[in-house]
Amino acid sequence: MSVINFEFRNEVLKHNASLSYCYQCSTCSGGCPIALLTEGKYNPRLIIEEAILGLQDKLIEMQDPNLWLCSTCQKCVELCPQKVELTEIFTLIKNRCFEEGEVPSGFVSQGKAVLDNGVAIPFSNAILARRKKLGLPEIKTASVDEIKTLLKVTNFEYHITRRGE
Amino acid sequence: MEYDLFLGCVIPARLPFLEASSRKVFETLGIKLNDVEGFSCCPDPTGIEQIDHNTWLTMGARNLSLSKNGNGGILSFCSGCVETLKGVNFSLNKDPSLMEDVNKHLKKVGKNYDGKTNVKHFAQVLYENLDLVKKKVSKPLEGFKVAVHYGCHYLRPSEFIQWDDPFNPYTIDEIVKALGAESLDYDNKIECCGNPVEKSDKDLSLMMIENKLKAIQCSGANCVALVCPACYQQFDFNQRELSKKEDANYEIPIFYLSELAALAFGYDPEDLGLNFHRIKPQEFLENINFIK
Repeated sequence: MSVINFEFRNEVLKHNASLSYCYQCSTCSGGCPIALLTEGKYNPRLIIEEAILGLQDKLIEMQDPNLWLCSTCQKCVELCPQKVELTEIFTLIKNRCFEEGEVPSGFVSQGKAVLDNGVAIPFSNAILARRKKLGLPEIKTASVDEIKTLLKVTNFEYHITRRGE
Repeated sequence: MEYDLFLGCVIPARLPFLEASSRKVFETLGIKLNDVEGFSCCPDPTGIEQIDHNTWLTMGARNLSLSKNGNGGILSFCSGCVETLKGVNFSLNKDPSLMEDVNKHLKKVGKNYDGKTNVKHFAQVLYENLDLVKKKVSKPLEGFKVAVHYGCHYLRPSEFIQWDDPFNPYTIDEIVKALGAESLDYDNKIECCGNPVEKSDKDLSLMMIENKLKAIQCSGANCVALVCPACYQQFDFNQRELSKKEDANYEIPIFYLSELAALAFGYDPEDLGLNFHRIKPQEFLENINFIK
């Protein structure tokens, strides 16, 4: 059984007060391509309801509905008659999952690539040759040390490294 | 007119041919793109932002701080990069305390963001210069029946993208028509390609792209135009796998808007690297008698 966690609810509300505007009309779910294809298993209205109730265990531990299925197409945000910033609220909850719950491995490997290279996709030799063939200039991307310094300050390095172990 | 070019990761490091056609188009138009040293990942709004919003803001603000180009600001060939850079800019300008926090982080690497960098998608700049684009067309795209795929982040959230219409977009259709092609409507035109879901559920992601491809086939279109490298990969890389199924056969050539513009400006398909596509456009271009 789920337990109401007032602290969690207040945290979400403090981060994004638009949560309290929701009157559960379900316009978001009606327009959501993922809700359609999963036959309602993924359901943005239900995620918002669980956030309003402060059901931290449902959202972060059980991940029911699974927030990682959101395609970030932003249709729900655009459609909401109450201007609830759904995807911003989903992002906060997914950020909490990153700190203390499950995260699909693709997100972690991308994060690790950015930490190690400053970019999500490092330049392979094959690509460098192809760039030359296409007459493209050499690209000087960010200093890896500089990005590492920033990612240490934001605690990103800690969370990514912890997951890699 | 000039802009600071923000390339991001996917285009330069995986799909450099898209960069080649885009650079050629802007060269032809006489719009200068400056190569800036030191940009990082934007970072990815469908990836990094989803696991760490604060890191997304900080790295995004660092990138924005590197543009010293005044009001011209940044131009990007990628809808994801545009979403991030516009989104970070909007969030920080909306909330001064957030701006202060992010600048405290940036101070550690000797940087500061003043909140004043403009960001534009390359398709926006093409639309804003549509008369100039028309003047440069030397080989109109006759026989091209284009299904335009806008992609989500070119349009939404409209609150900070502030360009075109989030549900009834028209700018790319107008550009395609200016190049001499026909633009066809289809059933799920504004729907997501499904690329961001790949990290969580590959089957779901394939279902989304297959639905789009089916609708495009039904519309009578013979090719697709799009403006985002994530959408490009989703459309071009998955057709063969989907065609393995018994009742499916997808072979729709996928063009970046810059490739269509470059073809209409008279560039040779070979110089654009069109042979690097998975669905090879060569045969299509011959079939419609665009090339001999």
